[in-house]
Order: sequence, then structure tokens, then C-alpha cells
Amino acid sequence: MSALNENRKNAVLFTIALVIAAIYLFPLYWMYVTSLKTNSSIFAVPPEFLPGAPQWQTYALIWNESDILRYLKNSIFIATGVTLVTVIVGAGAAYVLARYRSIWIDIALFTILMLQVLPPSLMVTPIFVAFTSLGILEYPRIGTILAISAKTMPFFVILCRAAFMSIPRELEEAALVDGNSRAGAFVMIVLPLARNGILVAALLIFMQGFGEYVYSASLIADNRLQPASIGMTNYLQPNVVTWNAIMAFAATYVTPILAAFVLLQRKIVSGLTSGALK
Amino acid sequence: MTATDQKPQIEFIDVDKHYGSFHALKAINLAIPKGQFVALVGPSGCGKSTLLRTLAGLEKITSGTLNIAGERVNDIPPRKRDLAMVFQSYALYPHMNVRDNLTYALRLKGVSKAERARKADEVAAVIGLDNLLDRKPRELSGGQRQRVAMGRAIIREPKAFLFDEPLSNLDASLRVRMRKEIRALHDRIGSTSVYVTHDQIEAMTMADHVVVMQAGVIEQQGAPLTLYEKPVNRFVAGFIGSPAMNFVPATVDDTGQTIRLDLKGQPTIAIARRFPPGTHVVAGLRPEHVDIGDPDAAGYAPIKISAVEATGSATYLFSDDDPELIIVAAGGHSARAGDTVGFKIAPDRVHLFDPKTGITLGD
Repeated sequence: MSALNENRKNAVLFTIALVIAAIYLFPLYWMYVTSLKTNSSIFAVPPEFLPGAPQWQTYALIWNESDILRYLKNSIFIATGVTLVTVIVGAGAAYVLARYRSIWIDIALFTILMLQVLPPSLMVTPIFVAFTSLGILEYPRIGTILAISAKTMPFFVILCRAAFMSIPRELEEAALVDGNSRAGAFVMIVLPLARNGILVAALLIFMQGFGEYVYSASLIADNRLQPASIGMTNYLQPNVVTWNAIMAFAATYVTPILAAFVLLQRKIVSGLTSGALK
Repeated sequence: MTATDQKPQIEFIDVDKHYGSFHALKAINLAIPKGQFVALVGPSGCGKSTLLRTLAGLEKITSGTLNIAGERVNDIPPRKRDLAMVFQSYALYPHMNVRDNLTYALRLKGVSKAERARKADEVAAVIGLDNLLDRKPRELSGGQRQRVAMGRAIIREPKAFLFDEPLSNLDASLRVRMRKEIRALHDRIGSTSVYVTHDQIEAMTMADHVVVMQAGVIEQQGAPLTLYEKPVNRFVAGFIGSPAMNFVPATVDDTGQTIRLDLKGQPTIAIARRFPPGTHVVAGLRPEHVDIGDPDAAGYAPIKISAVEATGSATYLFSDDDPELIIVAAGGHSARAGDTVGFKIAPDRVHLFDPKTGITLGD
């Protein structure tokens, strides 16, 4: 009897999960559908949930007419830079925060979490002023990488710290007694064991960097250096908004990332929960 | 013997360790000659593991001097101390196979790959892991992991072996076997070993020299039987020996040569020394030193039995008293719960302690 109840409960929970997933994924679906519609069918009443005649040429159009390739290259450049800075600085920081216990470590951790709280739209003005006076804005993409990294760092440090904390301290101590230095033990023992956690966190950071808008929009004035998130808005013109082109652009922009996410989904979940499982 | 052989291999001189306001080790003095097997034993939190960790260099000592092979190592990092350590959790590197685990230290030393492989085979044969060299630690049983941890230590040929409760994760029968194997290995290699355990039987059976610690202090150190026969205080007396020594408050009689135990019926027993009449003492009676006989026979004091546990090899009798007495009788003893039996103990086997300080009286 209780098994039956259990089954029914699972069925209800599963249905709720499906409905919520549908609500969340609907905009994505609408993006793909809209990108294949004609201008008139986009605004058809009642809305068309499946395009009658898919307009594949919209994709050809945006590849030929816009500089989508250049935008995507810039996005990848920025996302890669953000990931590198975040992982290299963040992994070291996370290790220290995982291994040392003191009031100062707690204060540092709290400060890092505070960074996460501050919205980019608030931070961008002081960053703009500071970067201008420091001359960093001579290289706007580098400036943007630094600004985004400051924003992604807390998230990465928290995830990475959990990964490090799940590694027993005795392993490092064994390495020290075996003849390794502290740094050597970190590189040879701790890093390989935390690899999954770090890779997953790095992937999430890459996605954040790839989709970032606020800092890129504010810090990069030169159109040729802007990432795809900015390039997309070029289709939003005062008089004509070509929605199908915007959606085709957006689809081109996010599909590779989505594909990577779906393929690596299992690894990502296990990486995120590796601390709990051990 | 050369002069260096007589110098202790490991020497703690007035070593103190503080963690903030917590005083973990207090004025530790301990000299371990080369080739000796030393056990550090005590209840949890007594500082025995901390002492081992300071020796390994995983913890810095706050003051005092620590010498290894005649060299002061206070500020020497673990990797330069040339010690091998076996951890309670074994601490095998999960991402390396058994061979790489065994030879990790050699790899760090820059030993060639061929030489490492040869050594790994050699050690694997010694510890009986020949066919497991390519397995990962997670594919091994607890006993096999323990052996890898041992192998990882002996492959090094270090100045000393440090063991941090290496057997506590094994089941009872395997533990008894490994006890003998570790000791045999120690004798074969002729190494110096420091072994931390909370199990006094392990300490007594394996070590040449036992160090009993409590609250960061060495209470007593010496040969296992010395600690058993001549404990310096009540703590050591109660910690060494199983089942533990009975402690009974008592008062010295008018003759000064007998004591009246504070038990039901106020039994009187003879002691080997003379004390001022009326002195309050605590009598320590080892369960295995108490003789059981006819309660009416001369020299026997009556005692009522509340419970009996027969293990076959010995029978444990529990008295109906406060404090309860435990007596070890011969296996197959016929006493039952509710019986009254007579008990007797040789005067020279009665330990006497100061009731306030717990220090052994006499001698």
C-alpha cells in the first residue's frame, strides 16, 4: 500500500517538474520557432506554435549580412579570458579558503560573497571610471574580462572550495611526508582529485562569460570588439525590428552552448554534487 | 657499537605545543633509541597523535627541541625529515594505482622508473600484494589497503616509521594478525618505529617501550611489564591491563599492615608495607590477581556475586558492591549470580594510591 502511495507521489512530483520545466523552456522553444517564421506569422493571432513553412534562409541571411562570426569570436575570446582568469586566481583562492581556518578566512569568505551580491549595473560606473584612469580601457576586451571575472569569481570560489574540502587532508599530509612540498602536493594530489569539480565550475563560468551583456555593453565602444550579446541588439532598430533575424542570431549564439551543456549534463551534476558524495 | 648508535634516533626535549590557548603537549621528554618499537598510548585527546604529528613535521612545536638522528629538526619541513607514516585512514592516493602509490616517494626522490618498478615488485612480494599492483585503492579491501599503506612506508627505508592507529579500521581477527606482522616487519627491517594507539593491548603486545599519555603529559614510560607491575599512578594502573584494575577506597587498620576495604562487610586484606593507622588510601586490585575460594576458609573475605560472564577461557565475576569489583576466575568456574564467594589477594599485589593525587604510595 505504501509502495502505491509512493508511486503516486512520484507521479505527481514528476508532473510538477515537467510543468515547471515547460514554463522555463518555453522561451527557448519560442526563440527557435520564431527564427523560422515569416514576419507576418510572427504576429499571427492566434500564435502559431509550429511554423507552417520554415524560413531557413533567415539563417543564411544573418550569416551573410551581419558580422556574426566576428561577434562570436569576440564572445569566445572574452569567455575564454574570463574562464582563465577565474580558474587560475580562483582555484588558488579556493584552496586557501578550504584549508585554513581563522577569523580572517571567514571575513575573506564573507567579502567574496558580498561581491556576488553587487549587481553589475551598479558596479559598471565605478569600474568604467577606474579603468579609464588606469588606461585599461585602451584594451576594452581585456578590461571587460577583468570586470566579468570579478563578478564570476565568488561563484567559482565557493564551488571550488567545496571540491577542495571534500579531499581528505590526510592525503596531502601523506604527500608531505612522502617528500612533497606544499605546492607540489597541491599540484600532484589535490588538483587531480578536484579536477571534475574545477572543470564543471569552469564550464559554468565560460557560459556566464559567453552570455555576459552589461559590462560588454558599457566598456566596449568599438563595434568590431563587441561580443555576440551586443551584436544581437543591432537588429533592434528604432523603426524596424526584424524579430526572426534576432531569433536566428540568438539561436546560432546559444545552440553550441546548449549542446555542450546537454552532452556534459551528467558530468556537471556529478561534479557539482561530488563534495556531498565523496 | 659506535657513538652514533648510542645517540637516540628520536629525541624530544622539553617539547611544548599550544593551539591558541589550548596546551596540547606539556614538557614532553622522550628519547627513542635506534631500532626500538615505541607505542604512544592514551585516551582520545591525550596528545599522542599530536606528538606523532610534531615528529612528522605536520605540526610545529611551540617550544623545546626535537632531534632526529642527532639533527635538530624543529624548523625542518616534513619532506626533509625522511620519515614514513602510516595513517589511520591509510591516505592512499585515490587517483593512482597501487604501484604508483607505493613508489610515489621514490618518484619524488628522482629514482629511475626501472628502479621504481623493481622496488615495487620487491615490496609487493613482502606485503603479499603481487597481483594487485595495477588496481586502484578503491578496488581493494580494507586489509589490502592497510598493506599498501605499510608497503608505501617500507619502500622508503626511512629513518623511522610512524604509525597513527593503523589497525583501528580493521576487524578484530585481522587486527590481531597485522599486529604480529607489523612487529615482525619491524624486527626484520631493524627500523625505529613510533606507534600511536588507544588500545593498550596493542601497545603492550607490540612495543619494547610504552609511553602512556594523558592531557598532553607523559604519565609514565617504560617496558610493558614495568607499566603493568609498577604503575606510578592510578591513571596508568587503570589504563594498562584488561579488564581494568579495581579501585576501592580503603582505610589503614590499627596495625598499620592491613587495610579495611570500603565494601559491604568491610573486608580486611593484608598489605606489604606499613602505613600510619587511619590513613585513607585507594586500593588497586587487578582482576586477575584476586583468588577465589571458600568464603569461610582462613584468609578469604566473603563477597557476593551479582553477575557472571563465562568466556570459556576465563570467567568474569562481578560483585554486588559499590564500587563493583571485577574478578577473573578460571574458565569453567562454577559460581553463579547470587552466590557468596571468598576472595583473597597476595599482599605484594595490592597497589595503593593517594586518594587525592592518585600517585602510587610506597616503594
